[in-house]
This record gives sequence, C-alpha cells and structure tokens, in this order.
Amino acid sequence: MKFRAKIADAACLNHFTRVSCMVAKLARTCTLRIRPHTLNFILADSAAGGGVSMWCELPQENFFSEFQMEGVSEENNEIYVELTAENLSRALKTAQNARALKVKLTNKHFPCLTVSIELVSVSSSSRMVTHDIPVKVIPRKLWKNLQEPAVPDSDIIEANLNGDLNLKIESELVSVTTHFKDLGNPPSASENESEDRSPEQMAEVQVDIRKFLQFLAGQQVNPTRGICNVVSHKMVHFDLLHEDVSLQYFIPAMS
Amino acid sequence: MLKCGMSGSQVKVFGKAIQALSRVSDELWLDPSEKGLALRSVNSCRSAYGCVLFSPVFFQHYHWSTSVEVNGTKSNLNCKLGMKSILPIFRCLNSLERNVEMCKIFTRSDKSKVVIQLFCRHGIKKTHNVCFQESQPLQVLFEKNTCSNILMIQPRVLAEAIVLFTSSQEEVTLAVTPLEVCIKSSTEESMDLNSSVYSEMFVGPHEFEFFQIGVDTEITFCCKELKGMLIFSEATHAPITMHFDFPGKPLALSIDHMLLEANFILATLADEPSRASSPQSLCLSQKRKRSDLAVSNSKVGKKDNKAMESISRKVAPRNLYADEILSNISTLENSGSPIMKRVNSDTEEEPGSSSLRKVKEKH
Repeated sequence: MKFRAKIADAACLNHFTRVSCMVAKLARTCTLRIRPHTLNFILADSAAGGGVSMWCELPQENFFSEFQMEGVSEENNEIYVELTAENLSRALKTAQNARALKVKLTNKHFPCLTVSIELVSVSSSSRMVTHDIPVKVIPRKLWKNLQEPAVPDSDIIEANLNGDLNLKIESELVSVTTHFKDLGNPPSASENESEDRSPEQMAEVQVDIRKFLQFLAGQQVNPTRGICNVVSHKMVHFDLLHEDVSLQYFIPAMS
Repeated sequence: MLKCGMSGSQVKVFGKAIQALSRVSDELWLDPSEKGLALRSVNSCRSAYGCVLFSPVFFQHYHWSTSVEVNGTKSNLNCKLGMKSILPIFRCLNSLERNVEMCKIFTRSDKSKVVIQLFCRHGIKKTHNVCFQESQPLQVLFEKNTCSNILMIQPRVLAEAIVLFTSSQEEVTLAVTPLEVCIKSSTEESMDLNSSVYSEMFVGPHEFEFFQIGVDTEITFCCKELKGMLIFSEATHAPITMHFDFPGKPLALSIDHMLLEANFILATLADEPSRASSPQSLCLSQKRKRSDLAVSNSKVGKKDNKAMESISRKVAPRNLYADEILSNISTLENSGSPIMKRVNSDTEEEPGSSSLRKVKEKH
C-alpha cells in the first residue's frame, strides 16, 4: 500500500484545509478513502454517533499537483484508513505560509499519515515541519460498511413538490416556523416516482436539532448548490455541492 | 515598603508579566529592592521558576524601603499574592493600555494589603485592595553563563514552533547540534490511534541572533511555562535567550531589556539508567524523571560559616511516573542544579546580628 501526494498551490492548500476543518467539525473519527482519482472522508452511521452519517468526496486532480497511490491489491486499488479528523485539520492549519505540502502514508513503528510542510519564514529561508498523524488501516472485510450511501427513493423531494420548505421547532411555550418558498425541485432520478402525490402534500421528519446544528455549524465551504431530501418520518439527507467537492450528510429521524 | 507608579503602556507590560507568571504557579511574590520590583513565582512541584525584575527606571516613580520591626530589625516586604486575586485586575490589557492614565501600587504594612489604583480616563478611579500573605520569596540562582549551549531567537519564531503542539501535549523536546535545531513532540514508546500527532520543526542556525552549541543534546521540558514566557516576550519585543546543557540540567529562558529582566528556569527531564534488577525494565524504555530545582534554606550571615543545606527533591513529573520516591538530601556540590535560596534581609546588617527570621508558611 502506498500513497504520496503533493500540493504546491496556495489556493488549493487553503481549500483542502477548509474541507478538512469542516470534516473535523462533523466527525471526531472518520475514514479516509484513497482511490486513484478521488479522496473521500467517510463517517459511517453508528449508534454511538446517533445514526448520523457523512460522505464527502473530492476529485484529487483539483487539489494535488502530484498524486500516486497503490491500493491493497490490483483488483482492490483502494486504501481505507481511519484517523482523528482534528489531527489532520490542525496539521494543515500550520501550513499557512507553506511553499509546498506533501502527504504520504508511512510506517514509523505504526502506520501514519505524514504531512511534510516547507514553510517560508520571514527571512525567506525554508523551514521544514513534519507531522506524523497516527492512522489505523481498515481491513478489506470492513470496506462494505463504508460505501457511498444510496440516495433513498424518497417519496418527496424538497418537502413538497411546490418548492416549499418549512423548518419548525416546537416547545412547550413556543412554536416557531420558518417558511422558505419558491425553492427549486430537482428533477427526480427515480423512475418510481409516485405520480399521485399531490404537490402540496408535505413530507415531514423530526430530527434532533443538535445534530442539525452541528451540520450547519460545520459549514466552512459555501456550497454553490444544496439539496435537501426528506424521507417522511425516516430521515433527512443533505447534499451540498461546492464546485468540485460534494458533501452528503444523513440525519435519522428521532425515534 | 513599596510605592510605585506607571503609565498605561507600562501597565500592559506589567500585566503581561503577571499573566506569564500565572502559567508557572497560582501564587506570586512581590519583592521590591533597590534593584527594582521583582515578581517571582515557583510552581508547586518546584520544576519551574519565573522572575521578572522591573528596574526602577521602568516606572514613573519608584520608592522602596525596608521597614523597621519592633525589635529594631529591618525586613523586606515579604508579600505573597494569589494569582486569583491579582490576575483579574490585569485582564483586558489592550483596553487598560488605552484607558489607564496612571497606575499606582503601594503597600500598607499595617494591614498586610497591597493597593492597586488605576486612574482611568473620564475621571474614573479603580482601587483594588489585595491582601497578601507574609512569605519570604524564593529565588533561584542559576549560573546560566556557564551553560555550553546558548541560543538567542526572536519570540515569533519560537511562537511558530509552539503552535504546532497541542495543549494535550505537555512536553516538548529541543534537540540541538551545531548544524540545526529541532523542536519536536516528546515521544512515548507506544502510540496508537488515540495518541497525539508527533510533530517536529527544524530551524537553521541562521534564524538565530546568537547561536552557540557546545554540546549536542536533547532536552525535554514542559511546554506550558515556555508559552508563558512567549506571551511576555511578545509584549516586550525583545529576543529570548535560551541557556541549557545536558538533560537534567535546567533550561533558562531569559529576556534582557533596558528596563526589565525576565528569567524563567525550567527543569528538564533527566536520563536515568534503567534499573537492571527488574527483568521488565528492558533498555527500551528508560525511566525518566524530572530532575528538580534544588531548594535551599540559607542561613547566610557574614560570620556564619555553616554550609548551605540544599534539599534536592526529585519529584515525579505530573503524569506517568508515579512510583518515584522523595528523599535525597544532597549538598551544594551537586553539580548543575540551580540553587534556590530565600531572599533574606541579612545582607546589609552587621555580622553577628540576628539570623534569618523564619517565617511560617504553608507549602
């Protein structure tokens, strides 16, 4: 298993750092999947995480000037490692004035993702900084738990087909509803679209507000497009697209 | 007794010194003398000591005198303050700098109080009465000029290095050779997914204002007190000088400025040969313990020839090494360890006059 990559452009480094910070806010430990053309940050749903799951995908060519990887085997040309997301974001944040950043998978007593940064100091001489981030290699038999979640065949898209979205909170004392109108409905990819669904009929799902807040607070990258899918009483799925980075986040309904 | 005054911008530097010393300990000694006003702090396990000495010309005005006791002896101000009492007065230093026109500090011996008055704009006057505890200050004597390794560097460079290390990592290692300097995380033997990131940063000799490496060495010390020193040095815009030697011998961080002098002395981890008797302690993991700053109670009078007792306490460092034992009284000849002595009042007196007044204090 081998992986080495280099970022030489300041804007790419900045963007990658922000994505990494966003991931760190949404997940404590996550899986990094490395494939020849993409990088994924994955948080699989688990009871401990409250059923929340996250899937973030980046095309590597838009970030790295050099990228080489060799997966576990020829048929399975992928690498899955688990790491503490904040370790990566913090290491990247120290690379503010970097001339170049290299990241590679190493094995120094234990597997690490080693980030090497060439900093430019005020006297314009280089200073080398290295961070060894401990990672855990995920064995192949667990890979099936970390696949891209299928977008569910939702009954409704966008709360209703007329482009209305309502966010509502209710407590004993007060009930507040925010109405969004004239939102778009993306064309349905599903062939089993229920034709008899009335456009005004609302689908609703009740989710834990803290998880929703955590998702919103984590946003560091302003998306160009966002889709919200509601599966009535089951879950809500957010799909955000910012240029080349896509982030999907699933919040299950409260039981 | 103490009576001094400073302007708004001087208050900021003074406040930064207090903030830096608060990283060392929860208590602060106010120790005025003819040399100026010294602020001193020692941590509870005696592995770190900080002192900032403000020379009389730092202040707008500075008056100091010894007080005369009932029995005719002179005594210094033995004043120990809690950080909890004094730190809040010097919070929000930027706004203090803008708003404070004059700050006066004076002591009232009749009530064991230090009075800090801030004369602010718009005619506002804030008076703080802080009670102090009678306690003789501790002072470390450390011959930093005899160290083989001396580095002088701008605080900004060190700050860039320190930011690499998270607050969960207590200790950093400084490794030096004549060719380069490396600041890195202190390594532990077994690391796993839950361990911290291991980071290292190399700094070339040309980045130092003064670079003298007499002996290749790696010393490990606590990051927290270094951060405290950095806070202060950024306020003074003066470079930091590091004096150190082999592991176990303390590291001195100092700032020498026209108007003030700061010294932070940190104990470093000492290498100890592994105990051969136990089969489990194979050479891989060396038991390391922090070698302590020696503390002494001195009874020095001009005619007093008694050798100074120095109690060298090897105290277990904060976390991992729980089975270290305290004991070991060694003499002054214990090479390399700095000596702490109580600042005493006898220096100006006639020989043979009353010996050091022992003050009861809490440990």
